[in-house]
Amino acid sequence: MIMTGQPALFRQTAFQGMAALVLDVGFFTSQFRLCDKIAEYLGDLVAQSHDDPARYANFSASLINEVIELAFRSVHSGDRVEFNLLKGDDSVYLRVGFRCSEEQLALLRTVDRSRGSTPFPEPARDLMALAHAVGVDVHTEIDRDDHITLTLEFVLSEGPR
Amino acid sequence: MNRISSSFSAEFDETNQEIVLSGKMRPQSPREMTGVIDVIQRSLDGSGRIIYLNVKRLTHLNMTAFNALADLLKIACRADPLRTIKVVTSSVIPWSAPLFETLASKEPNLSVDIYDSAFYPGQTFVEDESFIPILRTQTKMTWRHERDILPRHGLRDGLAVADICCGIGDFATLIRREFNPTRLVALDHSKKSLDYARRVAAEFGLNSIEYTYGDASQMLLADGQFDFVTCRHSLQIFDRPDVLLRELYRICKPGGRVYITNEKNSHCLGEPHAESIRWTYEQVAKLFSHFDMDVEMGPKSRRLLNDAGFDDIKVESFMVTNLDGDPRDFADIIEAWENVYAGQMAVRRGDPPEFIRRFRQGFKDHVLAALHPKGYAGWPIWAASGRKPY
Ligand SMILES: C[S@@+](CC[C@H](N)C(=O)[O-])C[C@H]1O[C@@H](n2cnc3c(N)ncnc32)[C@H](O)[C@@H]1O
Repeated sequence: MIMTGQPALFRQTAFQGMAALVLDVGFFTSQFRLCDKIAEYLGDLVAQSHDDPARYANFSASLINEVIELAFRSVHSGDRVEFNLLKGDDSVYLRVGFRCSEEQLALLRTVDRSRGSTPFPEPARDLMALAHAVGVDVHTEIDRDDHITLTLEFVLSEGPR
Repeated sequence: MNRISSSFSAEFDETNQEIVLSGKMRPQSPREMTGVIDVIQRSLDGSGRIIYLNVKRLTHLNMTAFNALADLLKIACRADPLRTIKVVTSSVIPWSAPLFETLASKEPNLSVDIYDSAFYPGQTFVEDESFIPILRTQTKMTWRHERDILPRHGLRDGLAVADICCGIGDFATLIRREFNPTRLVALDHSKKSLDYARRVAAEFGLNSIEYTYGDASQMLLADGQFDFVTCRHSLQIFDRPDVLLRELYRICKPGGRVYITNEKNSHCLGEPHAESIRWTYEQVAKLFSHFDMDVEMGPKSRRLLNDAGFDDIKVESFMVTNLDGDPRDFADIIEAWENVYAGQMAVRRGDPPEFIRRFRQGFKDHVLAALHPKGYAGWPIWAASGRKPY
């Protein structure tokens, strides 16, 4: 369920951009409730082309919320968190990119090694546990020395109906 | 648009040994869970051999909250291996059962029960497939009246509309065609009805109706989204109509309106054989009340809307009769009622054959009244709406 090192998969030309949002966390870190708002908003967008948008929005927002909480916990003030929604043929991908500290990156790297196994290492443990439980793929890419991008794949023909 | 993240609660129902969690549980830190944890802890301490943790109404849960609950439950399971903890959830909340099952897989005395049946008193009757054609013909007959009534209650072109307890979706299709809403969500708890609704919509090339599987008493729809919320013939089948109205109120925009229709079955009438018909429909009302449903609700609409906090309440009644269109349609509805009410519900109540025979006779007389060249048959319905204050 967890993969890294597949940047080719996300050569963005293969997908259509649906939405993008960049937050400068310096302005927002104290506002935890923003996680929830952004999650609901993006969940709504993800679910637009699903058979049952209301229910799929609740489903996708539960995962997106964990990614955003993770991002907000990891970044430092002044950093940016980038959200991109991409549409493939059968899936919508949410990509969340942010800069984080070396220790955190070291820990996140171990996510890859723990592929498929529980318990998942911090700090992505909660996200991975939820994704594993509900059967959603999460890809992690450490794309620069200090930058990580998490990608959630929402397969529109699957999931709740 | 969203409820604040601390809008959650826990209550313990001692009689049923059930802890009920509800709302949106997305705390920033486990400390915000203290109140809930306390309730659960105290309930566990005072509970018997089996305790239920009902999470059917927990619409949002982040992992911070889940971990806090999981830790507590794990400790409780291990402290008393002879006690069983049953987590009760429904398939409406898509992540709920899979997430709690991760816990059940580790604790032998914890289980997850998906509870989609016995949701409301009349579920087995209403979700029965034989009910589908009745709903179709009913809507066809009531629409003749409602298409004129609805604008008086504020429905017009270009509104965001939700039809809650939409059944097989006919009403939503009619709204789509006649009133061209900007958004149309139709929610029901019967997957069979929704599948049917989606098929019908696809046949008519209507792809903009958002059908959704949900529980009307705890919807996944956000607050204040709709200008016009309808709930037809459904409040009357809930044992707690106030809970449902609270949800209709919540999803309605301030200044928007909630429109409900309900019956008063004992006032169904016909000529000839008025007496036999009257007796049977009085029995219908009693039969439903035996199953905790109130098909006499129509005239109570004003009070219900008022108690739920609406203002500018409008109530009117109309009578579907055998003179509206084809009398055979009305006769079909009555025959379908007879099949479900006399053929299933009375039998389930354990009524004696003599009673059932007389009960059926009133329906047969009503059919006769509907089809008789000089006959008259009627079915009265109350349409009411209220405005959500600004
Ligand atoms: C009597 S039917 C009315 C259907 C439709 N409004 C009509 O007029 O034809 C009641 C409907 O309520 C639905 N229902 C019952 N309980 C529900 C719940 N908790 N949440 C959503 N829908 C529910 C049933 O599945 C059924 O379709």
